[in-house]
Amino acid sequence: PAPSPAPSSALAAPLRPGPAPRPGFPQCPRPRPHYISHNAQHPSHAAIGRCRGASLPPRGAGGCAMLRALRRCCPRAAAGPGPGFGPGPGLWLVPSRGRKSREDPPAKSKASRLKLPPPVDPLELFVVTERYRQHRLVLSALRSEFRAEVKRKKQEALAGGEDAAEHVEEHRLLMAWNDAENARQRARREERLRKEEEERKRQKLEAEESKARLMEAFVKEKEKEVLQLQEEAKTFITPENLDARIEECLDNPRNYNFAIDKEGRIVKRTVLP
Amino acid sequence: MPMKGRFPIRRTLQYLSQGDIIFKSSVKVMTVNYNTAGELSEGARKFVFFNIPQIQYKNPWVQIMLFRNMTPSPFLRFYLDSGEQVLVDVEDKTNKEITEHIKKILGKSKETLEKEEKERKKLSHPGTFGPKKYHLRECMCEIEGQVPCPAIVPLPKEMRGKYKTAMKNEA
Repeated sequence: PAPSPAPSSALAAPLRPGPAPRPGFPQCPRPRPHYISHNAQHPSHAAIGRCRGASLPPRGAGGCAMLRALRRCCPRAAAGPGPGFGPGPGLWLVPSRGRKSREDPPAKSKASRLKLPPPVDPLELFVVTERYRQHRLVLSALRSEFRAEVKRKKQEALAGGEDAAEHVEEHRLLMAWNDAENARQRARREERLRKEEEERKRQKLEAEESKARLMEAFVKEKEKEVLQLQEEAKTFITPENLDARIEECLDNPRNYNFAIDKEGRIVKRTVLP
Repeated sequence: MPMKGRFPIRRTLQYLSQGDIIFKSSVKVMTVNYNTAGELSEGARKFVFFNIPQIQYKNPWVQIMLFRNMTPSPFLRFYLDSGEQVLVDVEDKTNKEITEHIKKILGKSKETLEKEEKERKKLSHPGTFGPKKYHLRECMCEIEGQVPCPAIVPLPKEMRGKYKTAMKNEA
């Protein structure tokens, strides 16, 4: 039995028909890759964990234990590594934690330890794998169905619903109404501005008028004063008629004396000498 | 401690949730140009002061920008996601008229809102119970007609385990 070069390739490699089926183990059907499971690896499966660098095999990730066991059904160098041989194909002695750290080597008493996986009933395994296959088939179908539904809903929402055209039409109408409203507002504004302009003009005119009126009144006042002064100027005493006026005054003596009693009756009885 | 500001009622949740303008999903930006003085901008000023908090509360993803004293007359401008710009002249309008106007042209109609409400209700079943975040009731004991919570009302003797086992042991 030829040992495989690396553990990963042992898992990924297809089953090799070994020299002879081991007694007591019926010939197992070859497991067919019917799904690609994207489940996370079970952390306790150290053999898988060991293939850290290498890409994980597409199959065997789901029912790891069982499929690995099934593979071990078919005879290979699965008699296990000999004592002291070191890690065999697909198996690696896992140092257990606890008291020791990871760099500590396993104990000498464990050198010949050969850990074998639990025995597998191939009939049961077959039945169980078949059931799992159907279950996973149904589940993945459901999942893809739901994904498609969600995608459909999203696209529908993006397209704007089944009445997208109606919405567009409605929007257009509303915008038209808005434009009409704006036009009305503009008309109102122009009206208002026009009115304000008129008002301003009227005010200006009125101001001018009142100012003109004031000016006129003022001028009239002044004219009247001038006339009055002219009138008074006739009775002025000038150097020319000074003598005449003096003569006149002396000729006509005026008597300013009067008497008044408590009733307010004025009596002018005094006689000038 | 009394509330802060001039009209602190604008900061209450009750007032904010009374805003009834919910914009259509195509409206992305709302811009308000208004003046701080002048009789004609009075409606716009009141709109900015009283109604914009309500609008922003109901439309948290719409960007609202205010520009003061940049233009002689006040107006609103909406920028939709199709690139269209909607101009609304608000000179000489009261703030109530302005809200009515924009509700009419760019707000979601009552039917749309009801439809959305129904969709939202469909997602959760009122009959289930669980964490308060997702359900109406947390425990079976809160549901009418069910056994009340034993923490509040003790169970009758016959339902309690210790009594039942005592009876069994006795027998």
